[in-house]
Amino acid sequence: MRSLVAKGKTKAAVELAKEIHKRCGRPESEALLVDAYGARIWSLQEAGLKKEAKELFELVRARHSGSSARLVHASVLVSASDGNLDGLLRPLGDPVLPVETRRAIEKFVKDEVCDLNAVAQCATLAADHPLSTAASALVKAFAAVTTGPVEEPALALPEVSHRSALASWKMLVRAVAYFYRQDDQACERCLELIDPASAPARLIPAMRTMLGAGTRKRLPPATESLVERVCGNTASLRGALQTLDSAFQTIDQVEILVAIQRATVACSLAYPELLERLRQHISVRALELQLPLRKVRAAMGGPSIKNAYFWRLLAWSEENSRKPMELLICAHWEQFRRHAVAEGWFQEKSQEAAALYLHMAGLLLDMPAEMLNNLRKSFMARFSGFEAYYEDQPPAIRAVETKGKTPDFYFLSPDELFERACSIDPHREAFDQWLNWAREEYDWQVADYVAERWHEALPHHCQPLLYLMESAENRGALNKATAFLEEVQKLDAVNPEVRRAALRLLVFRAARHLRQRKPHLVEQDLAALEALPQAQEGDRPAFLAALRWACEVIRGNTELAASLLSQIGRLLRNSDAAVLACRQAGKLGGLKQADLDQYLRQEISLDSADSLASAVARVCALVDDMGATLTIPKSWHGRLAEELAKGSGKLESRQMDLLGKAALRDNQRELAYLISARGLGMGGNTQARFLLLRARALPEWEVDRRNDCIAAVVELGRRQRDLAVIKEAVELRRALRNPMWSFFWWLDSESWHDSSMTTEEINAVLQREQRFCAFPEQQASRLRTPFGENTASLCEEELETNDEFPTLEDAAHPAAEMSPPREKRQKKDLRDFPVTEDLF
Amino acid sequence: MAHANIRLDEDPREILGVSPDASVEMIRNAYLRKVKENPPDRAPAAFERIRDAYEVLRDPRRRARLLFFAGDPHAPLADLVPATGSARRFTGPGPWVAALREK
Repeated sequence: MRSLVAKGKTKAAVELAKEIHKRCGRPESEALLVDAYGARIWSLQEAGLKKEAKELFELVRARHSGSSARLVHASVLVSASDGNLDGLLRPLGDPVLPVETRRAIEKFVKDEVCDLNAVAQCATLAADHPLSTAASALVKAFAAVTTGPVEEPALALPEVSHRSALASWKMLVRAVAYFYRQDDQACERCLELIDPASAPARLIPAMRTMLGAGTRKRLPPATESLVERVCGNTASLRGALQTLDSAFQTIDQVEILVAIQRATVACSLAYPELLERLRQHISVRALELQLPLRKVRAAMGGPSIKNAYFWRLLAWSEENSRKPMELLICAHWEQFRRHAVAEGWFQEKSQEAAALYLHMAGLLLDMPAEMLNNLRKSFMARFSGFEAYYEDQPPAIRAVETKGKTPDFYFLSPDELFERACSIDPHREAFDQWLNWAREEYDWQVADYVAERWHEALPHHCQPLLYLMESAENRGALNKATAFLEEVQKLDAVNPEVRRAALRLLVFRAARHLRQRKPHLVEQDLAALEALPQAQEGDRPAFLAALRWACEVIRGNTELAASLLSQIGRLLRNSDAAVLACRQAGKLGGLKQADLDQYLRQEISLDSADSLASAVARVCALVDDMGATLTIPKSWHGRLAEELAKGSGKLESRQMDLLGKAALRDNQRELAYLISARGLGMGGNTQARFLLLRARALPEWEVDRRNDCIAAVVELGRRQRDLAVIKEAVELRRALRNPMWSFFWWLDSESWHDSSMTTEEINAVLQREQRFCAFPEQQASRLRTPFGENTASLCEEELETNDEFPTLEDAAHPAAEMSPPREKRQKKDLRDFPVTEDLF
Repeated sequence: MAHANIRLDEDPREILGVSPDASVEMIRNAYLRKVKENPPDRAPAAFERIRDAYEVLRDPRRRARLLFFAGDPHAPLADLVPATGSARRFTGPGPWVAALREK
């Protein structure tokens, strides 16, 4: 009989059970018959024959009242099929309810009941019954998670035990909460914990569709409606926005306005929450294209909100465009700051605000100082605020607008921006940037003020004290310099920069006493120098001996001076080097040329085993080490150039770099060029340095080569993380601009901002410069990119007969043509020059 | 680089599941929660992304740069529309119950 039931043949099972009971007539056979009837009732219920099932149940219960306990499940089914939840749940209030009955009822609740509210409000269930309290809690929680975000404590639901018939509902509530939190993994985990046979499991397909998990299956109508209401139908909106993007590319006003209108209508239908954001993006694009704003507003069906998001978008969009930097960008960033503070993005004096100030300062530093001053004056005279932007804005937005007050143009002054940034968030990079700017653009007093501010804010930093010491030293205020040195030595005496500064200052003091002809004080200085551990390193003892030599020359002690000269020669292992070191020490000490010529030979020693280039380079490095600069005797230039051209002598890269700088100081470009050729031939990590030297050494008319070298230097410096070489390259580039063409330079500023080069481009520059070992001969050059068809070359014969020069149609026109055509490089994301974070 | 595991187009805030205006404490709590869910021994790749996202967000200066320069202002407008399944609007319990009742 049980086998027949298992196969679903309940009618045959009942017939068989009847036959058995008819024959046996025992309680066991009766129990078997009732079980068969129970299975039959179940199958009728499953087949939807609820009425027949109920009638059969009533009949069996009446005939076999003693076995009614065996009809528990059927009884539950019949009650439930009536929709009679009260009747179904009533038995749960009976404390002596048999376990099987309780389980059957709870199973039905778990698998079939969808209306938790009905369970919570069931009159036949006591209010404190666990099922009732669980249902109530779940009703509230479910409403909460489908209405808005909820915090984690609200999902605890302690009223719902994990053994409860409603346990799967708890998982469903959590799954929905995590779904709205965009925590898809947590949502999926909760869905997996839902009993697949339970009522909440009916929502699993819908949720998985909304999660985008797996392939999209066809869903029943109400479920499909749920998915659409939650996730929206955005296909049509996407299409409209793609059309709008294409219209913006055409820059056809009519087409754009029509596309704007269609896109905003599609958005309001399909995704109304996005409408405001879309309007803001459209407004910014329209401003960029200078479309008539009233028409755009009409097409959008209303104005865009000019909140923090809008101003940030506008400012960032302008920065990201390929146009030259304008002061208006800073004005937009300032608007963003004010709105962001008002809306709570960050506090007025927060690190975010400081970062913004630094960013604005960085934008302004991109401009030449002179141009910035002029533009600032012009801007302040003409700028009347952004009132027009606010005329159709809600009160909360308008409240942020400054009315009636004279606007504060602090955002146009790098100085004020740095001041604000460093007050709020004092840190090394900010102060360093400020100090460098002050040193470049202003006199020592401004730079000293910045260094003092730095020291005040960050008293444990050595840099500001070292700068102040150097500044005092440059002004000849030795006492002050010494005081700063003592202060920085207290902070960090073993710092290599501090050690070097101490050495340099003492050398400077000794040189000053030499110039003052106070040999007794020079002796004291030399004693102090010799006491420094760092003074015994490398070739430094030789320079100290050279200072002593200068002292003896002042005293007129010829023998001792000669002895010292020999000693220096032994220390440096080269008599020419000794002569050069003494010559340099003598110059530092203010010795006259006559004295130098009397005590030192002018000719190069012919018996020197070492090359002259090696000797000079070594002394160059030594002198630089001591904080001075070398002057190469003019009579030595020829031999030096000869040796460099031949590649004689062993030279270190640092020595060569310094030698090259010494040559440039003497305006010996050819010599510097030869040194750069030697350096470039060495390869390795120093190529950036020697490319920079090459750029400096090139004749002025080699504009293209120089620009290429500078660009390659910046890129190499970026890759090698050499901030110093980048800075030098940038300074060289700025220094090369011709004030006459500064306007055109600025219009063509796109090329100045794009300093990135590919590896192939860099290699091409290096190979070219390595190939051109000889200094370029001056020649009459043709402009590589003539102004236009009418422009005559300087070499052409027509120039002699044709007196008409082309007129400039457009001031901007020559700028593009004066510079050589080059491929557009990938523009950097940020307009500020690389700072440490960007590089690394 | 500290945030080498995050792609350039990824928002660290989305990785940690915090709102743009989340406080430092909320960011930290979100980070701890994510790390608990993705411990380094079980999900090393996810853990590193979460850690890098936290490194960006906990540094106020990096966070500021994220705030100012997030997104490409010249990206197609169609990118404003989230991909299907990402837009999740609250509807109240009604549509959910209606779907539940549907067998």
